Amino acid sequence: MEIIISNSSGVPIYEQIKDQIKAKIITGELAANFMLPSIRLLAKDLHCSVITTKNAYEELEKEGFIKSVPAKGFYVARINQELAKEEQLTKMENLISEALKIAKIHQISITEIKEMIDIINEENES
Amino acid sequence: MWGFIKKDFAMIKSNWLIVLILFILYAYLGLTDKMEISFILPFMSVVLMLSTFNYDEFNKWDAYAATLPNGRKNGVRAKYVATFLIVFLISLFTIAMALIIAYTKSTTIDYVNIFGLIGATFISTILVQSLMYPIIYMFGITKARIAIFVIVFVIAIAGGMLLKLIDFSHFTKVTAFLSHYALIIFPLIVLLLLYGSYKISLKIATKKNF
Amino acid sequence: MKNILEVKNLNKKYADFTLKNVSFTLPTGMIMGFIGENGAGKTTTIKAILNIITDYTGEINIMGLNNKTNDQKIKENIGVVLDDMFFPEVLKAQDINQIMKSIYTSWDEELFQNYLKQFNLPLKKAIKTFSKGMRKKLEIATALAHHPQLLILDEPTSGLDPVARAEVIEIFQNFIQNEKCSILLSSHQTTDLEHIADYITFINKGQIILSATCDEILNHYAIVRCTAAEFKKIKPEDYLKYRQEKYNYELLITNKKSFKQKYTTEVIDKITLDDLMVLMIKGVK
Repeated sequence: MEIIISNSSGVPIYEQIKDQIKAKIITGELAANFMLPSIRLLAKDLHCSVITTKNAYEELEKEGFIKSVPAKGFYVARINQELAKEEQLTKMENLISEALKIAKIHQISITEIKEMIDIINEENES
Repeated sequence: MWGFIKKDFAMIKSNWLIVLILFILYAYLGLTDKMEISFILPFMSVVLMLSTFNYDEFNKWDAYAATLPNGRKNGVRAKYVATFLIVFLISLFTIAMALIIAYTKSTTIDYVNIFGLIGATFISTILVQSLMYPIIYMFGITKARIAIFVIVFVIAIAGGMLLKLIDFSHFTKVTAFLSHYALIIFPLIVLLLLYGSYKISLKIATKKNF
Repeated sequence: MKNILEVKNLNKKYADFTLKNVSFTLPTGMIMGFIGENGAGKTTTIKAILNIITDYTGEINIMGLNNKTNDQKIKENIGVVLDDMFFPEVLKAQDINQIMKSIYTSWDEELFQNYLKQFNLPLKKAIKTFSKGMRKKLEIATALAHHPQLLILDEPTSGLDPVARAEVIEIFQNFIQNEKCSILLSSHQTTDLEHIADYITFINKGQIILSATCDEILNHYAIVRCTAAEFKKIKPEDYLKYRQEKYNYELLITNKKSFKQKYTTEVIDKITLDDLMVLMIKGVK
């Protein structure tokens, strides 16, 4: 399991941990019942505080991605991958319609938007 | 407490070269009859123990020791036990030296003289240390040096005046009694003094703010 | 036991300095960073917790026990590194091992030797020949070798180079892998604290002015930089302190999110503990 923390991104560290573990669960990289490292071990290995990793795990548990087994630790929950993907698609839809609203106000054409997406995509991949 | 005694001995050991040279020097002086070694040697314990107080103070050991289990109490107790042990060991060494000297010079061995002299220095050394330690615990070794000087001065003057004022001819019975039981009375007084001094030092040390 | 350390209403008067109602709590299993200017009262507080000074008022509980009535039991279970107070420097590491063996019932000779090896410290050289960094490392090894439950460390990383600091920080994080173990450490190395501290307690002029989780501070607090005109529009209840600089205003805010919703100020910067300290001390309101 790889997690990369940025100290300068401005995104809270617990959120970075949460998002990255969540992504790994959704893509299936972390299978159901996979045992996650303890909050103390993860904190040590990521050089962050125990409260940070605890927060990340608690939020993941609240969102149903992991489950805690008392006195044992945290395990990846069995999630419906279809449903999880659906959820992400809805999130994207919302963001895109937000963008389209702005486009409409400033009279930016769909072609221009599609070009923009291609450019951003290329930039991100290089 | 043994940990603290080990510490004091380890510090004295760190000076072993100087200690050894002094011992050899005094032994030589004694053998060649230039000086009475039995008088000097037990007093070396004062110098050795004072050096341990010096080292302690330099690195604020007493404050650190207060964070160890029973650190304040054991620190004080160890100083007294270490003092007693050192004076005792040096006295034994001195007696051995005196016997060797007497033997090499093939003079008849005057046991009463040897034991009397060394016993007297033993007692006076303990006496000096008993007076000094509470002062050291109270003021710290640096300031205590001045205080000790003042106290010794005052005691000397008072003692001198007392000797002048009192006519000892009235107390012949007392002095006779004292000299007869000196072997028991003096050590007893000194031990009591040492114990009292320990109690005072302990009281000071357990309440001290570092 | 929920809290390993509780300090309640600690007061101590010196001629030129006063500790005033110092209270804070360290939950078991956590690391607390104790910050403040030099002379703010960090060392005095630590001395009171350890009973190095005894003439204070207030209550201090360690492992659920009163620190004055259970002195010996508590001290068996804590390890300390203090600023400038240690074994006399004529002694050697091997002397410390021998001495501590008789002082702590739980002294772990092997663990001590392992730390010495890890830190590259010689057994048979007097402490006075050590560099400042080596001394600190020896103090840390000594504090850890009797398996304490609580470490109380006053500036444990001062004088250490960045590599040694990283090494020591890792040892601290290893130490709290056991969830019964906790650390209170004062430090000026605030970036180290930002990484490993769960709680931050901030003392200024003898008073605690902030005690919160480090995440709360780093994620919700922020610095706003704005012009005088913008500053006038910001309501005083929306910032904690402000500071007038030559070319702009600096504001310390405690809720980044709601501030962003309320105002359109351009520059809202991520906060560091250093920024926090400066603005809390130099800022006004």
